[in-house]
Amino acid sequence: MSSTVDDDTTTAPPPATPPPGAGIEVRGLHRAFGQVKALDGVDLTARAGAVTALVGPNGSGKTTLLLVLAGLLVPDAGSVTVAGHDPIAHGPAARARTGWMPDTFGTWDSLTAREVLLTFAAAYRLSEAAATARVTELLGTVHLTEFADRPASVLSRGQKQRLGLARALVHDPAVLLLDEPASGLDPRSRVDLRILLRRLADEGRTVLVSSHVLSELDEMADDAVFLSRGRTVVPDAGPGGGRSWHVRALSVDALTTWLTSTGAAWRPDEAPVSPTGSGGVLLEVDGEEGAARLIRDAVAAGVALVSVVPAGGALEQAYLTLEEDRR
Amino acid sequence: MTMSEVELEHEPSTTPPKAPRSATWGLTWHGVQTVAVLELRQRVRSTRWIVALIVWFVVVGGITLLTSGAITALSSGEAFGERPSNGPLLFGAVTFLVLGLGLLVTPTLASTGINGDRNAGTLATLQVTLLTPAEIAAGKLLAAWAAACAFLVASLPFFGIALALGGTPGTALPRVVLLVAVLLAAVCGIGLGFSALTARTAGSTVLTFLTVAALTLLTPILFGLTYPSISRTQTVEVSTVPQDWTGEVDAECEVQLQERTVTHTERTWWLLGLNPFVVLADGAGTTEYTRFSGNDNDPLGAIRDGVRELRAGPTIPLDECWTDQTSVDDRTEAASRTPVWPWGLAVTVLLGAGGFVVAVRRLHVPTRTLARGTRVA
Repeated sequence: MSSTVDDDTTTAPPPATPPPGAGIEVRGLHRAFGQVKALDGVDLTARAGAVTALVGPNGSGKTTLLLVLAGLLVPDAGSVTVAGHDPIAHGPAARARTGWMPDTFGTWDSLTAREVLLTFAAAYRLSEAAATARVTELLGTVHLTEFADRPASVLSRGQKQRLGLARALVHDPAVLLLDEPASGLDPRSRVDLRILLRRLADEGRTVLVSSHVLSELDEMADDAVFLSRGRTVVPDAGPGGGRSWHVRALSVDALTTWLTSTGAAWRPDEAPVSPTGSGGVLLEVDGEEGAARLIRDAVAAGVALVSVVPAGGALEQAYLTLEEDRR
Repeated sequence: MTMSEVELEHEPSTTPPKAPRSATWGLTWHGVQTVAVLELRQRVRSTRWIVALIVWFVVVGGITLLTSGAITALSSGEAFGERPSNGPLLFGAVTFLVLGLGLLVTPTLASTGINGDRNAGTLATLQVTLLTPAEIAAGKLLAAWAAACAFLVASLPFFGIALALGGTPGTALPRVVLLVAVLLAAVCGIGLGFSALTARTAGSTVLTFLTVAALTLLTPILFGLTYPSISRTQTVEVSTVPQDWTGEVDAECEVQLQERTVTHTERTWWLLGLNPFVVLADGAGTTEYTRFSGNDNDPLGAIRDGVRELRAGPTIPLDECWTDQTSVDDRTEAASRTPVWPWGLAVTVLLGAGGFVVAVRRLHVPTRTLARGTRVA
């Protein structure tokens, strides 16, 4: 067992700069609760500067994995590196660089949103001046400025969720672990969350997000990791490569004739063709460049296209190919 | 070269610089203050707490005034002679009232500190910060203790009234307040320990109450129950007046062998010494002042002398030489010198410290086990 708790002697103050390429590395992680094997061989790599989706059915071990990564739980076996540090052996060093947002969490009801964040800034040992500026900035980021001085008890579920996200960001972590961050958020906040996570990743941070809203993840995730029964599994078709697009034209006959003539492998979209003859097909397209090429060729060939959009979600498609069922 | 070996064990390639403080037991005032302020803000802003403080003030005040009224009414009948002051009686009553109510209130202040936060889902978010377990535990302990001390401070006016009636040395007030504060701090530590051990807040509160009850109620009960077992009928030397005594004043006493029931309380006095009320009565230091007028009106002094005599046990030869007053006084004096309170206070503080240590150990992350029926978050 490589992960031993080393009490009392191992606190390492954070080095000035995180090691280059520091993301999340997990190898052969096992963790059982009694008879239940919550994690049964997880291998995972989350790159810095990318949003990694953590996908899996209920009870597949997502939350347990995030608890280990956050430095709260000792695994039975396996190695973990978060931002260049082992959260088991060098807890404080890893925790200083990790922002963790649990799936269910509470807030201190009689504290205001600002006080909650200031408390956490103090807990991460930010100086008072830095903390005040950082908290004001974060309240703006998560659109809670007008609720800053109201007690957390009056916040709605979605607002509390946003406060929880701000809490995870208060110490400017290099690695973000978000467990179902979008649950309870209204559509506007979901879009904001997506933009925020994208921005955080573009700043060079590692973002690991678990969610059930696959279309949501689809739009922001660069990579995906699938968990099933405590194991990472490789689905038949991962995101990023060739995936299905839904192509609609004014005349579905003209579209299929042209596609057949070019040798493209299309299949019907199982939607009824409208009385005017407009309809669509599903087509394997090689990314956005492939889609652009398709549109250019179709227009050149005189096919009246209506829309070309990704069909379903790549994650959803991959997810459904997983053979193992939920528990 | 032991140092480098130790470092190599931790991380062979990139040895992190040694931190000035330890990961579990490191304590900074900044960290403790952060947690304590958080806890106190939570507490103070709930109106219930202010109401509790007001109710406390009214109850303690009401009982104090009723007690002083009753004492005055009872003692006004004896009109003859110089009456001893009623001050010590009232002081003793207020002291025991404040300690008794304090022991009732304090367990609820500290015994939900950790499992309550765990149930509310706020504990894990604190544990992942750079606060050490010791800082979280100390902050919670400090906040609970400060709240308990607020109740103590609210009782100060009534101690003042009792002092104003006279008969109690001024030093008794700081001694009593200090002892109560330390006892309540220990109870906070016990409560914190139980709140770290049990998943449900009701469970930890009950366990804390049981511990306090064991100290206050069980100790005198056990002392009473073991009393027969320490009583022996044995032949002992008795120093008594001669049987042919005819009434002269300075008769020489003689030692005889007689069959007597002797109770060896020196074997069980420590049970009473554990009692917080005994600790307080013994440590209050009221008797010295009132010795010459006796301590009929000083309950604290009476308890103190009683326990100290029990601790001394029977003196063999038994002194029944009542014609010789000086020897009796000398013995009582000698038996009373060593205080009883350090024993009980030390045990209580050790229990509290044990609770604190348990809490710190249980707050350490990452954990190997999850509390039964709880998620970490």
